[in-house]
Amino acid sequence: MKISKHQLGIVFFILIGVVPFFGALLYAVLYSFGIVGILNEGFTFLFWKSVFHSGDFVKSLGYSMSIALVSVILSVGGALWLAINFTRNFQSRFFSFIIYLPLAIPGIVTAFFTFQLLSKGGLFSRIFHRLGWIESASGFPDLVNDTYAIGIVLAFITLVLPFFLLLFLSVYKNENIEQLSSLAKSLGANSTQVIRRIIVPILLKKTWIVIVLYFIFLLGSYEVPLILGQEHPQMLSVLIIREIKQYDLTKISEGYAIAVMYTIMVSLAALILFLPKKKISHET
Amino acid sequence: MDKSLNTLKYTYLLIFFAGFIIAGSSCSNESPDIQNQLLGKDWEYIAEESEGTTVNFMMWQGSPVINNYINNYLIPEVRKRFNIDLRISGGQGAEIVQLVMGEKQAGISNGEIDMVWINGETFFQLRKIKGLWGPFVDKLPNAQYIDFEDQYINTDFQQPVNYMECPWSIGQFAMVYDTSKIVSPPSNLRELASYVRKYPGTFTISNDFTGMTLLKSFLAELGGGTNSLNGPFNAEKYNDLSSQLWHYINSNKQYFWKKGTTFPKEQSKVSQLFANGELYIDYGFGEGGIEEKVKSGLYPKSTRVYPWDNGTIKNTNYLGILSNSPNKAGAMQVINFMISPEAQFEKSHADGMDANPVIDINRLPVEWQDSFNSASGRKYGPALRDLENYAFPEPAPEYMIRLYDDFRKKVIEN
Amino acid sequence: MKPKSKHIFLVFLTILIFFPFIFLVLLSMAPEWRFPNILPQYFGPDNWQTILRSETGLLHSFLISLLISLSVGIVSTLFGFLISRSLYYHPQRKWLNLFTYFPYILAPVVFGACLSFFFLKMGIFGNITGVIIAQFLIAFPYALIFFSSFWNKKIKSYEDLVATLGGNQWQKYSRVLFPLAKSMLLICFFQTFLISWFEYGLTSIIGVGKVQTLTIKVFLFIKEANYYYGAISSCLLIFPPVLLLYINKKYVFKNRV
Repeated sequence: MKISKHQLGIVFFILIGVVPFFGALLYAVLYSFGIVGILNEGFTFLFWKSVFHSGDFVKSLGYSMSIALVSVILSVGGALWLAINFTRNFQSRFFSFIIYLPLAIPGIVTAFFTFQLLSKGGLFSRIFHRLGWIESASGFPDLVNDTYAIGIVLAFITLVLPFFLLLFLSVYKNENIEQLSSLAKSLGANSTQVIRRIIVPILLKKTWIVIVLYFIFLLGSYEVPLILGQEHPQMLSVLIIREIKQYDLTKISEGYAIAVMYTIMVSLAALILFLPKKKISHET
Repeated sequence: MDKSLNTLKYTYLLIFFAGFIIAGSSCSNESPDIQNQLLGKDWEYIAEESEGTTVNFMMWQGSPVINNYINNYLIPEVRKRFNIDLRISGGQGAEIVQLVMGEKQAGISNGEIDMVWINGETFFQLRKIKGLWGPFVDKLPNAQYIDFEDQYINTDFQQPVNYMECPWSIGQFAMVYDTSKIVSPPSNLRELASYVRKYPGTFTISNDFTGMTLLKSFLAELGGGTNSLNGPFNAEKYNDLSSQLWHYINSNKQYFWKKGTTFPKEQSKVSQLFANGELYIDYGFGEGGIEEKVKSGLYPKSTRVYPWDNGTIKNTNYLGILSNSPNKAGAMQVINFMISPEAQFEKSHADGMDANPVIDINRLPVEWQDSFNSASGRKYGPALRDLENYAFPEPAPEYMIRLYDDFRKKVIEN
Repeated sequence: MKPKSKHIFLVFLTILIFFPFIFLVLLSMAPEWRFPNILPQYFGPDNWQTILRSETGLLHSFLISLLISLSVGIVSTLFGFLISRSLYYHPQRKWLNLFTYFPYILAPVVFGACLSFFFLKMGIFGNITGVIIAQFLIAFPYALIFFSSFWNKKIKSYEDLVATLGGNQWQKYSRVLFPLAKSMLLICFFQTFLISWFEYGLTSIIGVGKVQTLTIKVFLFIKEANYYYGAISSCLLIFPPVLLLYINKKYVFKNRV
């Protein structure tokens, strides 16, 4: 009796956790080869060839990776700096609550807000104008929908830095870093050494998987680049959805081809990150 | 434990769930015939059928004045008059076509959407996949007010409309400029090239329907005349003219907004840029569409509309009923109301949606003629007839579809 | 860092954290606020009154969002808890756990685009049920991963103890497992609620614009460049989580890592 209940759980797991993913992947594969789709005429490599030929995927991947990498590095750096310098302060009643507040703001609102602040007609531009630094709105630098994706990176940092900060603070507490640091100090280490040799390595070692996960999340992020990005190049999700929803109905399959490549890529990343290790991990 | 027994249970469960899923998909096939018989019924029957139903309307929701008209006039009116619950979903062009395609592929005969707001290229694509239901327009009582002899109404992107879609508004594309910033705005490609050199960064092309419509004007000019794109799609002509167009844009785009490295995604963005004073030239449907923007203070009072020498597109937009709509009677009732004198009058207010009525004023009862004639016109924008001599009809839909694709490939990604 | 500069920085940080909230409220209360005005010329509840009286359906969106997110939060948390237990007791749990990460790591919007055909086929495209199921498909893996750290030898020995003492299934869950997992259940509910509450891409695809949650509204207003209504929808979107955060303050993140 007990075993069949477990089996039921596993069946449920397979039905809602596994089947949809592989079903979606299968559908995208079939579509990309022209096997399904009302205007497609049967198996063909045409769409894959054209995707490779145009280089869209590679360009978009490179673009997305650079943005995600820069954003994650800056966020982790900022969060580490805050966590190390202000550990005590964040334990106060007031701060221990307000540092959670940024979690209440979703990507779409962050993007909207960033646009309102940084566009040429935005709040900062108006302040610059009032201060006499620029003569007209067009004099304000390009910070949204811009070539260097500055708007996207800033929005990403706003979104993930608070999360990393909370993460580091909690590891700081759970790993007794404070005690370790004072121990090191009593053994003669100076504060730079403590930060470099103890605090940062422990924090990063305990959280690197989460950091990599966030990198992958940002890679596939949709709303923020949709609002703050430019028309070309575009981040992966934006590119895929644009291709799938495009005017030329005969080319929808190209979008699915890119979706297949993206899905396989992140799945490989998941495999590498979470593949069961030979070594049995600790259990408590 | 007995392993084979477990495997068996497992299999049963999977079959159970698979059956569940398949059952779910096949139970939605409900007598589409009854719906199709509607075309043979009289209006009383249709009106009775539509009473108290829900109609799903998918439309482009990118304009506050249009949304305001729909939300605060149309929805309450059809509820009051016919007890119809009109629900709006956002979506246009390709999204509508893809929805219908998906539903066809999945064999869904009761679709999600009843009626759609479309123009020629969507009409073309929906026809291609047999996604439209009809001909229904001649069944609508209010269709008597529409002049189907008008070539701008009976022909949509060079295709005969044949009562498969109902005209809703008519308008002309026009250019807009700020008189306080520039004295004589460019009105042909040669002038535009020297204009952008004089005022770099103040002109751009939106990568959407509006921007593509501007490109069609350019294309017609390169073709050597107002009507150079008329007739069925001619690939050779397109390739020739479009390569000239891309060459023209690419050799001038370093003087465009953001040095031509990127183009705005939507017309609403162009409007914002014009409002901020970044752009000096704007353009839009509905004879430029500046009335409400000037009145609300978004655009400066010095904003004016001007014609393009070789002419701009004049077109009609339409309402269609989808072939798998579950409530065709309701959709007909709503569409009939949308072309009624009162709804068209409300829609034409210069203070509101400011869209030209598609009904022929001369065919209306006298009291409505008076209302239309005595309505206060636009204060800042021109009337449709002022631009009469600068109008040409939409070219075949393939031009639009190709322009979209090529503008991205040959300009944006270049 | 000197204590004084530290103090100044903390004040700056506090302003930074509160700024988005204040700015969005201001924007939502300004009928006109654009270049070159640093502050709007008028403040007041006009926008709020207009939008709540009109047929824009913002209140409706708020209620739909609430219904969807509560459903997704509750169902994902319960299923995640129960099924993560089945997974823990399965001999191949490590491999099964691996599968959880695939849908978890994939961009929801791409997942939705590739899934939409099946939703159409099942007749749950463009309705609330469909959106709930779709969001559940992405919130559920999160819940599974979240609870995977709950099950361990200690919990198993408690379960064995209940069995030895003759407790039934109901007692095992109500007296032992749920009380032990109480704070984790709350956090998981909170997180899955937020995953759903903040979801845009997947919802836009599976809801086909018919299920207009708050995020869909925000995007709609951004698209039509109606920033004031955009700000109102944003406020409706961010203040409920603030409230939840306040209530949940002592639970959230306690056991995250």
